[in-house]
Amino acid sequence: MAAILIVEDEISINELVKRNLQLVGHHCTSVFDGRTAISEMQCHTYDLIVLDIILPESDGFEVFKKAQEIPTIFLTARSSLSDRIKGLSMGADDYLTKPFEMLELLARVEAVLRRTQKNKSCFEAGAVRIDFNSHQVFYLGQMVECTPKEYDLLEVLINNRNIALSRERLLELVWGYDYEGDTRTVDVHIQKLRKKLGWENVIKTVYKLGYRLEISL
Amino acid sequence: MKHRTYLATLVLFLFSFNLGIFIISVTTLKDTINRTKEQSLGEHYFITSALLKDFKAVESRGIDIESSLDSLLQPYGYLSGDKKVGLALYKGNQLVYSNRLGTELQNNSWQPTQDGTRLVSLQKSAGSTNVIVSGKLPAPYDLYTIIYLYDMTDAITSWQHMKNTLFLAGLVLSSLLALGLLLLLNRIFKPLAQISETSRDIAAGAYETRLPVSGHDELAEMAQSFNHMAEEIQSQMVELISAAEKKQQFIDNFAHELRTPLTAIYGYAEYMQKAVLTEDDRLSAVNYIMSESRRMQTMAYQLLELANLKNDQTNLESLNVSGLFQSVQQTLQQKMEEKEIQIEYVCETDVVWGDACLLESLLVNLIDNAIKACSRGGHVIVRAALEAGKKTIFIEDDGKGMSSEVLRHITEPFYRAEKSRNHKDGGAGLGLAICRQIVFHHDAELEFISHPGEGTTAKITFTTSK
Repeated sequence: MAAILIVEDEISINELVKRNLQLVGHHCTSVFDGRTAISEMQCHTYDLIVLDIILPESDGFEVFKKAQEIPTIFLTARSSLSDRIKGLSMGADDYLTKPFEMLELLARVEAVLRRTQKNKSCFEAGAVRIDFNSHQVFYLGQMVECTPKEYDLLEVLINNRNIALSRERLLELVWGYDYEGDTRTVDVHIQKLRKKLGWENVIKTVYKLGYRLEISL
Repeated sequence: MKHRTYLATLVLFLFSFNLGIFIISVTTLKDTINRTKEQSLGEHYFITSALLKDFKAVESRGIDIESSLDSLLQPYGYLSGDKKVGLALYKGNQLVYSNRLGTELQNNSWQPTQDGTRLVSLQKSAGSTNVIVSGKLPAPYDLYTIIYLYDMTDAITSWQHMKNTLFLAGLVLSSLLALGLLLLLNRIFKPLAQISETSRDIAAGAYETRLPVSGHDELAEMAQSFNHMAEEIQSQMVELISAAEKKQQFIDNFAHELRTPLTAIYGYAEYMQKAVLTEDDRLSAVNYIMSESRRMQTMAYQLLELANLKNDQTNLESLNVSGLFQSVQQTLQQKMEEKEIQIEYVCETDVVWGDACLLESLLVNLIDNAIKACSRGGHVIVRAALEAGKKTIFIEDDGKGMSSEVLRHITEPFYRAEKSRNHKDGGAGLGLAICRQIVFHHDAELEFISHPGEGTTAKITFTTSK
């Protein structure tokens, strides 16, 4: 969906971020030092940069200065307040400290992309089309009536597609922290979505974990 | 202290000063009275002898003395020409003549002694002070007693006036002195106030504060030693602060070093749990988890080694250098071959004094670093020799070298020559910190000589005589 540049000198973490972002359909490029990052930015256009601060050659802040208009999420082990303030006051769009959770990374990337309008306003998979601006869902060209919660659940699943989400997490993401209902609410809504969109085999039940929307674009 | 000194000095001064004034005025008073008494006695004597002649003359003319007393005594009343003098004549106990003595002589204190001596007395009454001399006329007129009175009220008044003037002047002088004393004491105690202020500043954290030193007296000496103390405190504080900073740096670095592998381990585990994986994906994720765990294990091991080194006593003994080199060579054989690096061992001294395990670990660490610095096909020379009479081991490589900025920090825990924490070379950044600790236990010195692009020489100098 979006072209993302990952600048991180730790190979393992660079690879991890790349894999996670690829799961939800982003196109990722990995670079391992500041200088390559700068030249890479000049050759190609990117929708987002995930940038480590401590880098060989030239550090993250320098790379960020060169990035100009490209939205940036700082990714670093430095969690001191001054570092965070420095990053954010320079105009970074978000700040993520190691160790981070996969969903947190994806959620922040999603939020930044949506805010900077780099995300598509429309999602299509097979016979299903979703318009994010008007909150409308179409199946085989026909509009499908969805309750607000069903739509929210659908959006969360799409944003975290190919990733298994536990019922608790879904409850938290869709209904909010303070919702006191049962996790069975999630099951009921998932059933409804499956039926309405013909996604009986697309929204998979993951044993002992939860649900996963499996779509490869 | 200042106030006490001030008060004590002031009180002491005021006391002696006023006592002086008091003694002077009392002496003056006594002197005045005595002089008046002398004078009165003289007058009395003169009148008595004159009166005796007069009496004789009157008697020889056959005139009664009693009837002519007034005319006889009249002239003496004016003797002093003013009203200060009074005269009275008694015959027995009966007053036979008086000028203005009527009320002033009620009691019998004036009664002269029977043996003809005269009596001088001082009498105070109703605002006036008088000197009274009484004495009998010689025989045959010893029935008569002459009283001479001298009014010295004026003299007393003038004495009182003088006394008051003296005390007033004393008061003025005393206040001047009090002021002067205050100024003087302030000046004397100023250094003390300064010291206490400076100490307070230092206690509050302004360690660079110093006392001004002027002159060569005891105060200047004290100021100097005070400043010396302040300097010591300052330098120790600087040391403490830098030690604390180093410790903080260590903890920060440690946290960072922990976070990176943890992030990877957690991240890949989560990835495996939540994503749809191919067999390849799964394998590589597991590999990452394992290698990151291994990295943490290495770090834990090295940290433990460092901690043990800091606490433990080492077991020093005489070691054969060539034997040491041999075991080092065996340990590094594989790495050496991997990178196609030639290591040359030159042994010019036979024994060194040290702990076999620690020295081996030290050499392996340093040679390992040298190998890392070298590119493929590089050269490393390990040489044990005498330099300036001291046993020294050199480890020379022809690798990439380091800048002086890097050299300064390389023995700090977790420090890496590259600003970023790249783990392509492996290790946790604790190697040289361990080396430094080992060298410290051997009373030896570890030194690095390096220039970028010209290779590095690590030099271990043993300072022990053995």
